[in-house]
Amino acid sequence: MKGKIPIYFGLLFLAFAIGLWNVSPTWSMTYVDALDRRVSLERPPKRIVSLAPSLTEMLYYLGLGDRVVGVTTFSDYPPEAARKPKVGSYAHLNVEKIIELNPDLVVGTKDGNSPTVIHLLEQAGIPVYIVNPRRVKDVGTTLYDMARLCGVEEKGRLLSQRLAHKVQYVQDKVKGLRRPLVFLQINLRPIITVNKNTIHNDVIRLAGGINMAENEPITYPTISLEEVLKRRPEVIVISSMERGGRFEKARQDWMRWKSIPAVRENRVYLVDSDCLDRPSPRIIDGLETLARLLHPDLEWEGLGRE
Amino acid sequence: MDSHIIRRPLTPGRVLKVSSILGVSLAVTIIISLMLGTANVSLEDVLRMFFHGSQVKESARLIVLKIRLPRIFLAGLTGFSLSLGGLVFQALLRNPLADPFVLGVSSGAAFGAVMGIILGVGFSIGVPLFSFCGALLTIYLVLTISRRKMGVESATAILAGVIVNAFFTAIIMFFIATSSEDRLHSMLFWLYGDLSQSQIAYSGIIAPVVLFGFALLYSFSRHLNLLAAGEEAALHLGVNVERAKFICFITVSLMVGLVVSFSGLIGFVGLIVPHLSRMILGSDHRLLMPVSALGGALFLIVADTAARTVISPSELPVGVITAFLGAPFFIYLLKTRGSRWTR
Repeated sequence: MKGKIPIYFGLLFLAFAIGLWNVSPTWSMTYVDALDRRVSLERPPKRIVSLAPSLTEMLYYLGLGDRVVGVTTFSDYPPEAARKPKVGSYAHLNVEKIIELNPDLVVGTKDGNSPTVIHLLEQAGIPVYIVNPRRVKDVGTTLYDMARLCGVEEKGRLLSQRLAHKVQYVQDKVKGLRRPLVFLQINLRPIITVNKNTIHNDVIRLAGGINMAENEPITYPTISLEEVLKRRPEVIVISSMERGGRFEKARQDWMRWKSIPAVRENRVYLVDSDCLDRPSPRIIDGLETLARLLHPDLEWEGLGRE
Repeated sequence: MDSHIIRRPLTPGRVLKVSSILGVSLAVTIIISLMLGTANVSLEDVLRMFFHGSQVKESARLIVLKIRLPRIFLAGLTGFSLSLGGLVFQALLRNPLADPFVLGVSSGAAFGAVMGIILGVGFSIGVPLFSFCGALLTIYLVLTISRRKMGVESATAILAGVIVNAFFTAIIMFFIATSSEDRLHSMLFWLYGDLSQSQIAYSGIIAPVVLFGFALLYSFSRHLNLLAAGEEAALHLGVNVERAKFICFITVSLMVGLVVSFSGLIGFVGLIVPHLSRMILGSDHRLLMPVSALGGALFLIVADTAARTVISPSELPVGVITAFLGAPFFIYLLKTRGSRWTR
């Protein structure tokens, strides 16, 4: 009998909450999104479609996974997100599928999702909220915005503060230290890297390094082996989703070029690309991992894993 | 088989009969295509929507009328124009390889569209206008390169087209590779042909031009018959060859430029459908023009419906389907019936 008492209280509380709900049916809130569009919600959304892997991760991070009814093809984290119905890929969405899922909120990103799709969903009377996280610090604010939208503002505030603290911790640690020159390879063949307009660059900078290709005019420049030899990076980071096999091969390929300081000092690393290029809470893990790799002499307490 | 059908003299009644058979097939295809897709919509719902709209679920209505219908219209108008363009080019240049894609007109149009996007002109009017100019520029280049004393040399025109095509494609690739704008990256998909972002307004812009273009080209159908037999013969029979060619080239460029700016580069349609029509119905352009045009519309609607359903909820570029469906069927017909060009 004793064990049932909390359940009774729980039910009572639930009934009370439902009662409150009925008393105040005008929860209606209006938010302004990253495109300066007004988005009104009648009640906290219960059926959410996420149009980017990073946003799916944020929703799960906020504990809202069970409200997610549709995700994009590459939404693979956390693993249970991959089992949700798919609405096409990030850049190429299937509007029909989205409408069929009958969502009460669709969240998308400014650069990925096309205006046509937004327009069609609006016509369908589906609220679409667009976010635009482009820097590491935006992840926290976007997380908070989404939390507010979904009626879990307090949780969002807490989690985004926690992320901000972690970023601050890393920044304090690497402050004043010499910044190693980092070459980030995001594609094996051809060799592709990133310039300063990317979130990767932001992670490298916050982790206390300098992105070798930051001043390239092209956002994702293809770079020659020759150029890498010439610029002599001190650390090479290969961002990839797979371990072993191909990565080991790429590492071996670099090992032939002993004139590169990173190779001589054996500082060629692999980092999970999802933790470097998705503006999701996991990018903070990526930041911590990278900071450790760039500054291995520092004392890092309980970092990288939680 | 049935060679008597082909040799029977052409009457307006026959043109009308064949066209209406195709028209009805087109209508049936559109209705079937409206039913198919990621979301389930029944035939009953589709029919009800057009006759007494209110009793259908709002989401189904939206999917059919705002998403599928605009896309089907765009596919139809694109197939119509590309196929008609192929037919006319083949007659004008007396070459079975001529079509808007091979001659570089499509990629010239795409080049114009990309320039328009880079210069930031408005999408509704500006980009199609640039696209049209790109198409015109290409046809001008191709014809100038291949002009000899005796008129345009058709083999040279094809070669020139292939080269101009490669050149413009290279320029587009260059802009995509060097552009930091994310919008341009998504254009890569658009260059493979993409009808998924259609709005009904696009068809509103295209339809009048396409219909006017068809009427204009149809008025030259007898000239095309004579031109296909040989320019000299046409000249002797009193055709103002230069004028007829000029008007036809401009009209096709206008149509192709316009559809390319909305649907991207879609190959194969302008090659396959006109040849199929010729294999089945002979070489009279008065009949071939409506048949190729309607057949092109039908073909592209079927191909696009396949593109959006076979790996649903994701989709394939429509060009994959046009080549995949088209090539084997085409080879089969070529082997069993032979091409009219070889007879």
